[in-house]
Parts: sequence; C-alpha cells; structure tokens
Amino acid sequence: MLAWSAVASATVAFIACLAGWLAGGGAVEVAWAPTLGLHLDLAFDGLSALYALLATGIGALVFVYGAGYLPWHLEHLPRPHRDAWRFWPWMVFFMGSMVGLACARDLVLLFVFFDLTAVASYFLIGFDRDRDARGAALMALLVTGVSAVLMLVGAVLLYNTYGTFSLPELFERAESGPTTTAACVLIAVAALAKSAQAPLHFWLPRAMAAPTPVSAYLHSAAMVAAGVLVLGRVHPLLAKSDLVLDLLLVVGLVSIAVGGVLALAQDELKQILAHSTISQYGYVVTLYGIGGATAAGAAALYVLAHAIAKSALFMTAGAVTVTTGESQLSRLGGLGRRLPALAVVSGIAAATVAALPLTLGFFKDELFFSAASEHGRLVQVLAVGAAALTVAYIGRFWLGIFAGPLRARPRGRVPPLLLAPVAVLAVLALVGGLVVEPFARLAEDAAEVTQAGVVDVAPAYHLDTGTANVMALAAWALGALVLLTPRVRDPVVRAFGRIGQIAGPRRWYALSLLGLNRLSDWAHDKEVRDLRNSIAAVLVPAAALIAIAFAVTPTRGSYDVGPVALRDLPIVVLLGLGVLAGVTAARDKGRLQPVLALSVLGFALAGVYAMVGAPDVALVAVLVETVLALVFVGVFARLPPTTLRRPRRRARNAGIGVAAGVAAFATIWGALSRPAATAGVAAEHIDRTPDAHGGDVVTVILADFRGLDTMVEITVLAVAVVGVASLLSRGRAW
Amino acid sequence: MSVILEVVCPRLLGPAMMVAAAIIVKGYGDVGDGFSAGVVVALAVALRYVTLGAERAERTLPVLRYAPAVAVSGLLFALAIGFFPILLGEPLLTHYPRSGEPVVHVGTLELTTAVAFDVGVFLLVAGSLVELIHQLTRLVEEPRP
Repeated sequence: MLAWSAVASATVAFIACLAGWLAGGGAVEVAWAPTLGLHLDLAFDGLSALYALLATGIGALVFVYGAGYLPWHLEHLPRPHRDAWRFWPWMVFFMGSMVGLACARDLVLLFVFFDLTAVASYFLIGFDRDRDARGAALMALLVTGVSAVLMLVGAVLLYNTYGTFSLPELFERAESGPTTTAACVLIAVAALAKSAQAPLHFWLPRAMAAPTPVSAYLHSAAMVAAGVLVLGRVHPLLAKSDLVLDLLLVVGLVSIAVGGVLALAQDELKQILAHSTISQYGYVVTLYGIGGATAAGAAALYVLAHAIAKSALFMTAGAVTVTTGESQLSRLGGLGRRLPALAVVSGIAAATVAALPLTLGFFKDELFFSAASEHGRLVQVLAVGAAALTVAYIGRFWLGIFAGPLRARPRGRVPPLLLAPVAVLAVLALVGGLVVEPFARLAEDAAEVTQAGVVDVAPAYHLDTGTANVMALAAWALGALVLLTPRVRDPVVRAFGRIGQIAGPRRWYALSLLGLNRLSDWAHDKEVRDLRNSIAAVLVPAAALIAIAFAVTPTRGSYDVGPVALRDLPIVVLLGLGVLAGVTAARDKGRLQPVLALSVLGFALAGVYAMVGAPDVALVAVLVETVLALVFVGVFARLPPTTLRRPRRRARNAGIGVAAGVAAFATIWGALSRPAATAGVAAEHIDRTPDAHGGDVVTVILADFRGLDTMVEITVLAVAVVGVASLLSRGRAW
Repeated sequence: MSVILEVVCPRLLGPAMMVAAAIIVKGYGDVGDGFSAGVVVALAVALRYVTLGAERAERTLPVLRYAPAVAVSGLLFALAIGFFPILLGEPLLTHYPRSGEPVVHVGTLELTTAVAFDVGVFLLVAGSLVELIHQLTRLVEEPRP
C-alpha cells in the first residue's frame, strides 16, 4: 500500500514533468530573504526536464521494483513489515529533493537541495542498520556533505564579488579571474564528490550496503547524477576558466580508468556496478571538461542512456540474488537458460552500457567519440581505451551471470515485479536505438542550458569509416581482447586493487576519521571532565583576546572617569552591594551561601539596569536570576554532601578568575566611557516604534524589527528542549 | 518556614498567571514581552515543584502534562504568524495592520499580528520551561539504577 502510493506519486510527478517539458517549461521566483540575496528561483528548463524525468521516471520503475523487493528483504533479515515506513518516505523525499535540485537556479538553493539528497541517502544507505550499513551511510554523508560545504564557500565567494547567488545573473556578470576560478574549483569539487569521481569515489562502492532498490535509484540515476547535474547547471561559469575545465578532464579520465579497472577486479555483483558507475560518470565529467556544444550534447545523452541502463542492471543484480541467493560472480553462471527473460532484458541493458548498435548506448559513445576527437589525439586514444574497459567489465558481468556452466540453481522464476521494470527500461533502450529523436531532443534541450547557446544533437547510424565508427570498432575489439584474456587481465587488476587498498583514498579517509576521533577524545578529556577546565577554556581565551585588543588599539581617551552626582547614589550603593556579594561568593566555603551571594549580585545589577533606564533588561535579569537561584537550590538540595570538595589548584583558578575579571572590567569601562559616535540603528528604532503600533522599543524590536532573529531563536529553543527530552527520557515528552 | 511556603506557593499560581497576562497585554506598549511572561508562569510552576516535590506537583496540577503540546503549538503559531505574509507576497514577518493604518483597541491592548507573535513566544517559553522542569526533576527524583 505504502509502496504503491510511492509509485503513484512518482508516476504523477513523471507525467507532470513530461507535460512541463513538452509545454516548454516555466519558472517561479519568490523572494525568500531579499536582503540576503536569497531567492527561491526555480525554473523548469531543458536541463531540469532531463534530470527530473530521470528522477521521476526511473523512480517510478524502481519503486515498482521495490514493492516486490522490500518485503523479501525485510523477511530475509528478518525485520517487521512496518519498517517499510523507514524506507518509502525517504525514497519519495529523495525524489522530491532531486526534482528540486534539477530546477534550482540559485547557488544557495542548489546547496540546500544537494544536502537534502545527502540526508535522504544517509537514511536509505543505512536502512539495514548493521555496522556495515551505518559506516557506509556515514561515509556517504561525510564525503558528499563536507564537500558540499565547499560549494557554499564557492557561492559566497561569488556573492562577495558579484553580489548575487542567482546563476543567470552570475553568468552575465562573472568575469574570468582568480576569484571565479577559485569558486568554480570549489563548486566542482563538491559536484565531483557527489558523482563519486576519483579521488573521492570510495564512498560509492561502500554505499552498496544499501538495499538494491536504493542502489538502483540513488547510485545510477539520482544521487550520483546530482553531481554532474550541478556541473551541467553551472557550466557557463566553469567555462570561464580553462584551469577548471582541465581539472574536470583529468578527474574524469582518471575516474574512468580507476572505476573501470576496479570493476574488472570485483566479484560482488553490485560492487562491479558501483565501480562501473564511477567510470561512467567519469565519461560525463570528461565531456564537461572537453567543453563546447558537441560535448555538452554528448554529456546529456550520456547521462540519459547510462541512467536507463545502469538502473536496469542494478535491478538485474537484485533479481538474481533474490532468485538464487547468491551475490557473487564466482558462484554464479549459466543462468541464461533458466532465466531467459531476465537474460534478454538485462543483455539489452548491458549492451546499452557497452554501446553496442541498435541500443541507445551506441549513440552516447558516438557523440562521446566525436567530442573527444575534437579535443585532440591524446584524448581520442584515451576515449577508445575507456570504451574498451567498459565493454570488458560489462561483458564480464553479463557473461559471468548468464553464460558458462550452471553454478547456483534458481529457486523458481524471477518474480514479475522484479522483472517488469528491467524489461521496461530495456525496451526504452531498444526504442532509443531505433528512434533516437525524442531522446536526442531531450539531450539537446538540456545541453542548450549547459552551453547557454544553441546545440545540435543529431546522432544517427552512419555506415562509413568515419572517425567515430572506427573508434567504436577499435574499442569493441580491444574490449573483447581484455575480456577473453583473463589470465593476463586478472593479475594486473588485482595488483591495482591491492595498491588502492594500501595507499588509496579510502584508507586516508579512515585515518583522518580516526585522527579526528582521537583529537575529539583528547579535547573532551581536557575540557569536559573538569568543570573548572571547561570554564577556564572560555575565560582564558576571552581574556587573552581582550588583552590583545587592549595592546594593539589606541586607548587614549577611552577610559574616562565621569562625574558622580548625588542622584547617582542609589546606583553606587547597588554597585557596592554587588561588589560585596561578588567577594562573598568567591570566598565562601559552604554551598548555599555562594549561590545566595550570586543572587544578590544579580539582583543588584538588575536594580542598576532599572535605574539607568533599561526596565526591560531589568525585568529579564530579575526573572533569570530567580530561575537560576531556584535551579541551584533545587540541585544542591539533592546532591550528596561530599560532592562539592574544595578545589585543587586554587592559585591557578584564582589567577584565571582575576584575569577574566580584569578583561571584562576593561571592556565595560571602555565601552561606557565612549558612547558610540554614530547614532546607529538604535535611534532609528526608537523613532519608528510608534509606526509599528508600539510603545516599548525593546518589545517592538523583538517582535517586529528583528522578528526574524526571534523566530530563529524560538525555533532553537524548541529544538533544545527536544534535545533535552531525547537525552533524558529517550524522546518521551512527558 | 516550610509551612508558610506550603500554604503560599500553591496560591501563587493564580496571581502569577495574572501578572503574565498583564505583561503580555501591556507588553507592546510598556515594559515586558512574551518571554518575560512565559518565565513568570514557569517560575510559579517551579515554586510548586520545589515545595511539593515533582510527584505531588504534577498530581495536583494535571494540566501541566500538556506543556509540550503548549510549547509546540506556541512555536507553530509564532512561525505561522511569521510566515503568512509570504502568501500575500510580502517579506517574512510583515506585521498587520501596517504602520499608519488604524488599529482595533481593546482597552490599552492594540490588536496587531506582532502581539499575536508575542503570544506564540509566550506559549513556547512557558511550555518549554515547564517541560524542562519536569525532565530535570524526574532525573533528580528517580535516579537510574
């Protein structure tokens, strides 16, 4: 029921996206926080159409698949069926944020949706809740989330220089230069990490701990596509810097090689596909690095064809595991005769990835080869090598499952819910191989956004010895050669995998996580274990900063002693009382006396506020003092008598206290001696208070002038209370 | 001493509510706001906890258990007041009636959305503090094994 409502929502969203694309798109812009330059700027253009159609269309099919897969998965673990509630809402949420990301035309909005997809993926990858799944989920969140912060930094860099977060405006205003280059590199790093490109690719294979529908959706067509989507979206900006394009080209080619070679070394079905995804998005990144109209069109078509084929292959892997109980290539084989339907449809998907003719995949490589040829001989050769690798690992995957001697016996037919989505995708890939126009038009529309200009995507079969055809033939031949010589191939790829394990980025990730943990433990030990240490950790740096400020800023005339008139007598008396109370609190040895002395100090200060014309502050001070006194009394009444011992290192504590006190004294004296020269906003606030139908400036400021601050603060208060409730009584509110 | 407390504290709740109401009603024109009013209510409740003990305080005043609901509804109410101008195409937290427009008076109270926002803050603060008192006293009174 839950699953089918997810399917229904995805289908409706797909139809809406299709209608939106055919109608030519549209845009909404709502001012969100205009003074900060934040706008909800959403547009449904060609690029949005491509990715939104993928997210919703493949989403709908994967949801159908999940409706068949998840009950089996839960039974297999075993877990109760209501745990589906921990699955489907996140899947739908993910789809929503992906569509939002596709439509966002504002850097901050891109960042927000980027992180929303990361959050959803965290819960989906960690769905199984075992140690492996949790580690994988955390890794995916850290790698993509931390690098997403770089994107925000890049956005702020651009905002500082050009005064806008809006991409269309940035495309017009931004000029090539160091700032633009730096910002583009930061944005590109975030996008590359999301698309699992080397050297930040290691989270994707680990994320295969997720249930298969998650992999089929997030790790083929959605989450990893988000990275290249951002690259495509900001490409006019990236193209202003040759350095960034070269970076993309290198990262893309390296990722193709790393992903392809490692895919040949894997035994687990989903691991092969994960590494293949790294490699395939490497193609797209390479194309964006090449730049230009041809490459932009090729990249869009590549994403489309790859997403269709790869999710079909992921679903195939899951279906094979469900029917045979095996998930390793070495234990599988010969299933072609037992599961002919699955063999045929997944064969079409594999052929699409391998770019064989009569499938949509052929055209993606045709365009890839043309774009590579435009960029020079070296890239052309590397492109053929990349395509050969693809043919080899996809061939190994499909032949390993469906050809050869029968190893694991299937326990029955493939459940129709698991087969149908693969079949639909296979038919789509075949149709694309015969009638490519609709797909090419979608890619063309998307590429025109990437390129910010007219793009002509016209793939077709040419029966001649053109460059692209020769390159394709060479790639197939080379790929077949790699495929058919396992004795030469296997030692090489294994050695490569070994090097990766020893010195690869995943090890660096583990080491840095370990180091951070140690650092945090050390700081925790030093700071939190002793209450006096944690107070010193605040007081000492504060005193030091003020001392520095005192030393480097001119102090002449900043420390006046004003006249004291007779009418100031109450204030003087109250302050004297405060001083006395302070000394008593510091000297007294009991428990209740220092607390009461502190209360006296607080009430004396509240009296001073009331005298000098800040009744609002005085009211709050009185209330807060009362609360504090009550809390102290309540807690002390129940502490065992021995808890408060005389502190050790009294001299040190006294020194820290005196330093902090002197610093605070200097600050306040300085502040009071020299009232702000400019009127500031205070005068304006006072002037405008009657306009806001108010009499009390402080209240009007809280509720009106700075109401946004209040709104955020009350939200924080509510979150803090939720935090207390979950820490103290596991989330029970009462 | 404790006899006086036991007699006086339970009877303080009513006056405290009155003071809180007065602070809100007068707040927009005079000293005080929703935060102060919320703290006043929470203080009166806290005094009951101190004198009667948590268990008795909650038994004799069962309405306290709605504190979390009050806090959440206060937050939602304040957020709703803050966000609804977006529907009218204005920036967040635009208050109505706008400046210069006539205001409905109830005594000295002027009915504006800013006052409503303050009421939301009051509910949130009062509810949250009572919730915190409940959680902390529970922790102190029934230590975990």
